Amino acid sequence: MHLFHLRECKPSKFDWRLTMNVLHLNLTMRVMAMILLCSTAALTQLSPSTQKVASVRITGGPAIERVDPNSAIITWRSNNPGGSPQHYAVVYYGTNPGELSQTAKSSIRLNPTHSYTVFRVWMPNLQPRTTYYYKVDSMEANGNSDGVQSPVKQFTTP
Amino acid sequence: MRLKTLWLGAVVVLMAPAFTIITYGQEDTADQHQRSAVYNPYPPGILPPNLNSELVRVEAEIDFIEARALARWKALTPPTLTNQPPILANTGTEAIETLGELMNYDKNISPKKNAACSSCHMPYVAFGGPIPSVNLTMIAYPGTEHFRAGKRTPQRYTYSPFFPVLQYNQTQGAFFGGNFWDSRATGYKIRNPDAEQAQGPPVDTQEMGNPDTACIVYKLSKAKYRRLFEEVWGKDSLNIKFPPDTPRICATPAGAAVFGSDTTPVKLSPEDRTRSNNAYDHWGQSIDAYEQSQHVSPFTSKFDAWLHDPTKNPLTADEKAGYDLFRGKGNCNSCHLDGRSTAPTPPPPEGTAPNGEDTGAIANSEPLFTCFGSSNLGLPLNPRDAFFYQTKPDPYGFTPNPIGFAYRDLGLGEFLRSGYGTWASPNQSWRQYAPQEDGLMQVSSARNVAMVPSQCTGGTDAPGPYFQKEFFHNGYIKSLKQLVHFYNTRDVYPFDVTSGHCPAGTTEKVDCWPKPEVPATKDMTVGKLDLTDHEEDQIVAFMMTLTDGYTTPYPNSDTYAGTCMTGGSAKTQGNESLIPTPPLPACSPEVCGLPPLPLPPVP
Repeated sequence: MHLFHLRECKPSKFDWRLTMNVLHLNLTMRVMAMILLCSTAALTQLSPSTQKVASVRITGGPAIERVDPNSAIITWRSNNPGGSPQHYAVVYYGTNPGELSQTAKSSIRLNPTHSYTVFRVWMPNLQPRTTYYYKVDSMEANGNSDGVQSPVKQFTTP
Repeated sequence: MRLKTLWLGAVVVLMAPAFTIITYGQEDTADQHQRSAVYNPYPPGILPPNLNSELVRVEAEIDFIEARALARWKALTPPTLTNQPPILANTGTEAIETLGELMNYDKNISPKKNAACSSCHMPYVAFGGPIPSVNLTMIAYPGTEHFRAGKRTPQRYTYSPFFPVLQYNQTQGAFFGGNFWDSRATGYKIRNPDAEQAQGPPVDTQEMGNPDTACIVYKLSKAKYRRLFEEVWGKDSLNIKFPPDTPRICATPAGAAVFGSDTTPVKLSPEDRTRSNNAYDHWGQSIDAYEQSQHVSPFTSKFDAWLHDPTKNPLTADEKAGYDLFRGKGNCNSCHLDGRSTAPTPPPPEGTAPNGEDTGAIANSEPLFTCFGSSNLGLPLNPRDAFFYQTKPDPYGFTPNPIGFAYRDLGLGEFLRSGYGTWASPNQSWRQYAPQEDGLMQVSSARNVAMVPSQCTGGTDAPGPYFQKEFFHNGYIKSLKQLVHFYNTRDVYPFDVTSGHCPAGTTEKVDCWPKPEVPATKDMTVGKLDLTDHEEDQIVAFMMTLTDGYTTPYPNSDTYAGTCMTGGSAKTQGNESLIPTPPLPACSPEVCGLPPLPLPPVP
């Protein structure tokens, strides 16, 4: 199953100077062939948003990458969710498995050329020798959840 | 009686200008005294011992290149103004690029005639910082007034003109564009961030330090290349009536107490002030033309040659492996876009990427290796930074950084609040986003990160012979090996210490990374990449292929008159310059107390 909307890209010469001339009202004019770029934000090479996938499934973890007395890093792998390249890895946690009321989130950049994404969240300000329960999710820049189905897991700080 | 009063009155009237002249005369003498006075608030060991001789070396290099630029101008056939709208036909492009080059190497623009733009941006390091010992120690370069200095590393010029006008992308929830580490040269008015950037250092107190933008225009009106400016920008573009005190004002560094809060001490008529402002915009645009030109941003790297014809210009095995890691396990191209297609390899079952071979067509035949956005990499505070130490007034009564070590570099976030040590933001609707941008710095183009003078054949890294550079906004990283190792292991060797306090048994930058200066917004895409030591080296090898001058020589790459360094190891390069960070006060309210407040608070 294709995860992304594939469009055929025909490479040809792309003159950055023409682009910047148009944008910056330079004195000289040059005309060269423009390339049909695959991304929607073509002119300034902004990293493109890709189509969101139908469902985001965890394929590895979530697991503890490291845990210290006052902090931890949780990591997991899922298929590349698509959407905005600026993404967030999110952990909902608490000391009561029925009440995961605290949130930690970390900036993650998606790579449109990768079919899976590694998500990592840094959780600061934890108490030592405490058991925490958590579940994970990922979200786009606008706060929309990727709808990750996460088991509730736990770890204990040293 | 009335006659006496009249005489008295006349004498007073006649004496007034004389008194003023006498006052000016006294200030001239004081100026000369102050010109020789040095501002040195630094504790011993902060400034490099060879600073003065290195500044002299760079000045001589600038003179040499300026002579080449003047010869270029002499060989230029003046363009013909024709067409409707008017166009400088045939040699118009060459004319504006030559003009920008002449401006870039003109030391007379600075109040003490000792600092050109290129004093901090020399071609043999892709227009980055040219003094190895500064790169090892004080990070920021001395400005016209010795030794005021700024707070960050001088960025490479190459490919900076391709950043768009700063914009907030609603869908992506991120800013793109602008120039400077904190994107404060937005380009909102002249529609060109790179041109707006060129308007910064000439009036930055820590850099060229002119007290008035009219001073730059005054110097242009006296420049050897005035005629070229007028050919490009118009016959009357520099016809301004400068008052007689202009030379004296413009020889006094900005921030001097005598100016108070006046940013236009050169008193021009309203029409002349407009003409001066326009000429200052043209200053920026001309320098931008030079930076966009083949002399600065030529796309002549080995990587470009390989893209064009991989059979004729093959990468070595290590370079190719490094490239595969760059866009695979290293995940570098998530921000340092390499223009590859967005078609991933067909997976069984969920893809062989990130280690798979990318078989897609090239989307961009001249990739810029940046997404034009910003990121917080979680770098530690660098206590070597000259900015922290300038807490005392200089001989002109100016104190560059009264808050000292209570300063934190919030980057884009501080600019969005028009805050401390940055510019006013021209867009109030952006201010709400400041907390998510705290600590974020511009994603540099990776192109030319490895450019060094040609005689330093070992590149940037020990054992060399190498040229010592400084990397990232605060120069904390001293070699490309350390740079890749930081991305790879920041979260593998984290210690709750500041720089210079790694515990016994660990080595800073090898198996101990001090805590981030701004922890909350630290990007977690990097920090644990699971690269082996050899894979790190391969990524460094790939980065070296992004250096211009492979297909044709890079202009003025032959002008470095200093020496290359040898010996040591890239892993610990610069560690002998580490100093213990002093106990840090909390972030000053002047930086961290502007609404919307950083969330969570910056330690």
